[in-house]
Amino acid sequence: MAARKKKAASKKAASKKKGAKKKPARRKAPARRRGWIRPLGRVAAVAAVVVGFWASSWVLEQDRIVRAKFEGRRFSVPSRVLSSPTVLYPGLDWKRIELPETLGRLGYREDSGSGELPSGRYRWGRGRLRVHLRAFDHPSRQEPSRDVGIRLAGNFIDSIVELPGQGEVGMVVLEPELVGAYYGPEEREQRDLVRLDELPRHLSDAVLAVEDQRFESHHGVDFRRILGAFLANVRAGGIRQGASTLTQQLVKNFFLTPEQTLQRKFTEAVMALLVEARYDKEAILESYLNEIYLGQRGSTEVHGVGEASRFYFGKRAQDLSVSESALIAAIVQSPNRLSPHRHPDRALDRRNLVLGLMLEQGRITRAEHDKAHEETIRVASVTPEVGESRYFLDVLRRQLPEVYDRDVLAAEGLEIYSTLDPRLQRAAVRALLRGLERIEAKYPALREEDPQRRLQGCLIAMRPQTGEVLALAGGRSYGDSQFDRCTQARRQAGSTFKPFVYIAGLEPRDGTPAITTASLLDDAPLEVDTNQGVWKPRNYDHEFRGPVTVRHALEGSLNIPVIRLGMEIGVDRVVDVARRLGVTSDLPRVPSLALGTAALAPIEVARAYATIANGGIRPQPHTFEDVVARGETLERRKLRFERVLDAGVAYLATSLLEGVVDRGTGRRVRSMGIEGPVAGKTGTTDDEYDLWFVGFTPELVAVVWVGFDEPRTIGVQSSWGALPIWVDFVKDAYGKRVRGLFSAPPSVRELEINPETGAVAMAGCPVRANEVFLRGTEPTRICDWQNTDGEPDEGSSGRRPQRGGSFWDRIFGR
Amino acid sequence: MQLATEAARKWWLWGLLAVLLCSSSCAIHFRRPTTTVEALRISEVVSEGDAARRASNRLVVKGLDADSQQQSDRALGIYEEALRVDATNPYAYLAIARHHVDGDDPTWALSFVDKAGSLFRADGGVSPRVEPHLVGLRGQALYASGQIDAGLPLLEQAWTVAPDVWADGQLSASELR
Repeated sequence: MAARKKKAASKKAASKKKGAKKKPARRKAPARRRGWIRPLGRVAAVAAVVVGFWASSWVLEQDRIVRAKFEGRRFSVPSRVLSSPTVLYPGLDWKRIELPETLGRLGYREDSGSGELPSGRYRWGRGRLRVHLRAFDHPSRQEPSRDVGIRLAGNFIDSIVELPGQGEVGMVVLEPELVGAYYGPEEREQRDLVRLDELPRHLSDAVLAVEDQRFESHHGVDFRRILGAFLANVRAGGIRQGASTLTQQLVKNFFLTPEQTLQRKFTEAVMALLVEARYDKEAILESYLNEIYLGQRGSTEVHGVGEASRFYFGKRAQDLSVSESALIAAIVQSPNRLSPHRHPDRALDRRNLVLGLMLEQGRITRAEHDKAHEETIRVASVTPEVGESRYFLDVLRRQLPEVYDRDVLAAEGLEIYSTLDPRLQRAAVRALLRGLERIEAKYPALREEDPQRRLQGCLIAMRPQTGEVLALAGGRSYGDSQFDRCTQARRQAGSTFKPFVYIAGLEPRDGTPAITTASLLDDAPLEVDTNQGVWKPRNYDHEFRGPVTVRHALEGSLNIPVIRLGMEIGVDRVVDVARRLGVTSDLPRVPSLALGTAALAPIEVARAYATIANGGIRPQPHTFEDVVARGETLERRKLRFERVLDAGVAYLATSLLEGVVDRGTGRRVRSMGIEGPVAGKTGTTDDEYDLWFVGFTPELVAVVWVGFDEPRTIGVQSSWGALPIWVDFVKDAYGKRVRGLFSAPPSVRELEINPETGAVAMAGCPVRANEVFLRGTEPTRICDWQNTDGEPDEGSSGRRPQRGGSFWDRIFGR
Repeated sequence: MQLATEAARKWWLWGLLAVLLCSSSCAIHFRRPTTTVEALRISEVVSEGDAARRASNRLVVKGLDADSQQQSDRALGIYEEALRVDATNPYAYLAIARHHVDGDDPTWALSFVDKAGSLFRADGGVSPRVEPHLVGLRGQALYASGQIDAGLPLLEQAWTVAPDVWADGQLSASELR
């Protein structure tokens, strides 16, 4: 210890000596001057420390921001919703599925040349279409890129061959279409993230050539370029040239506001230096290429070269040519002013400038330059924003598990494979809008100027076998009202509820059903005691028909017979059937339930009718199949369904509902030109607040509802309001002739009866028609053909009666 | 007297002949089926039906290939795509039933067997070559879900009719393909 003290003392003495040697003795300052310099020095020192501390903490704060942004999630990538893929196969009506338009929407470009066809292009020939399909990944398949020739015969695909071998292929699959995306509440940016090592070298070269040619050598701020720009601007007498490096541009976009102040420029430079100090050039360049703003698709901003490649060229960034890369680099400066869609000449000039710079900087060879320079600008048609699917997107979001909340959907870049059929969706939107306008044109009193008070409607289409929601138009305009009338509205179901009552009656309990399709129900005045007094229901036309068959009662949508049936079998049985079919809304246990006084959502009605169409097997309505994040499937919806109704009873209901379309209140379906197997039911509520039409074919069930959000009388029957919208939709989607067949299960037997009495028709019975029954429930009464008194009126029975002709016809039943 | 004996003998002979004929025809009519069938493979029907059905069946075959390669999710995705092309294709439901019967919850297979059966019947009836699949899959689903008493007789029935496929009490994807 003593030795250490001694050493320190000798060191101090030595230093004193040293100082004495080096510096000559100073003249002593006057005492007064010395008095204020020292405090000032102290203040300066303290200020320096404070400023230094503040500056350090500010720099540290900027560093923290930089690190947080770069090392955390760098981009908010909105999740995309994609349609189901389109399968092309021989025999398919290519015009009906709008093949050329579909290719256009997918970003395929028409090629008029000859020889090799690049990926993502198609070429028309005489009676054939050649398409070079792109490769794509789908949760259930990985489709390779294929060059195929599609031979066309009229409206149909005749054959599909793989080129160049000409080997016939049974089918090919087009990639799913983009349906929409989930954005955050404040930003509407769409980007498709790319990795630098996946991109062609010429793309990054093109960007560097025009935006920051010394990127590889500077440290975030290019002082040489600043000086050059300063001199150029002084010479020009104003700001003509910028000097921001690519790193500075990235910093500005990432962290700062676009305001032009010195403070912002300074912060930008400091942050750029920090970014360069912390991260390598590849990471910075990759971030820049994913971040940069490159155009506008409607109200959505296109960010990053990945998204821009799809937007401008309909292809992946990996597949860009030199010319296309140069064009993308060209528009970085001002994407809207140089937009190749709107200003192709400007874009071409700037692209050529970029190509020139690339050549000058040795980034491409002369040959590459010349070839790219020769290429004309050919951009993909602008894919419009799919605003018409917004209601569907909302339903899908609500159906996703809770973990996928709005924030996750807006930021995590998920790919959600939906059930939406874009062609049917467009048909649904078109049919709904046209139908509502038609009603307003015919009944001008219904027209309202205020968008919030206008006549509204909705259309939902579902595949009955699987429950896939194929199309959903929840209102006239999502912009005016986001309220989805297909899933959020509950409206009186009216007569669309009646089939549930008949099903309850047709379903055997303890081996015997309450009714058969040929049972007679009494259409006569009825009084029902209720808590509110005596209820005297009436038919729509205020007429009473006496005894009518079940079929006749449903085809004519008669009120009295269905109320009687409901009361006879008990409201509990009706509720039980409705629940099993898929109705979840409250059902009042009152006699008027049979008339559809319960308020249901159209999607519930669709599900219930889908169960009937599906032979009694209840599907689960769903809007998505898979949720994928960076190639990994996070969610997969499994196809599930459950038998809730005997197949025979479901078929009887289908047959009755076919009658409604063939002869009953839904017969306008036929007069408007739809052919093939169709069943359906109209529904107009008593007060005419709500118009419904539910129709199904073996492959599709669709529900149309029309009404005002604030209930008010429309004064139109559903067969003139909702039904034409349904017909319009089906015609647009499938044409006049619908596919498939409703076939009876073995438990059903067809029998000829007298449709007016429900008795079995024997030879000579004056009026005969085929009717369907569950085996063992066929009528036992024989038609009394000798009793020809009071020959029945054909019109009173909607069922096509075949009248007995001559004596011999009656005897032999010909 | 002689005439009466002659007539009685004739009647007796005729009676004997009638009994013999009746019993042989009854025996033919009521005998247990012992003939077996070659169970149907879906690849045999890819060129049948309309365009949508053919395309759908090609997809079903692809799905069965994926199932054979243990790509379960992929297979299910392809079957569902087959239904998108033709929602009334009974073979697609049959393949999905086969897929589920091997899965976590074999009871799910029952509704698909049921659906396939109704569609076959609606299409003109269940062919004898398809019947063992419907019966066998139902039996396998019931057996696998613990309903052994209900499942075994059905499996036995399928095995009796189509031993080439159902002898081991199950239907593999390649056997259905």
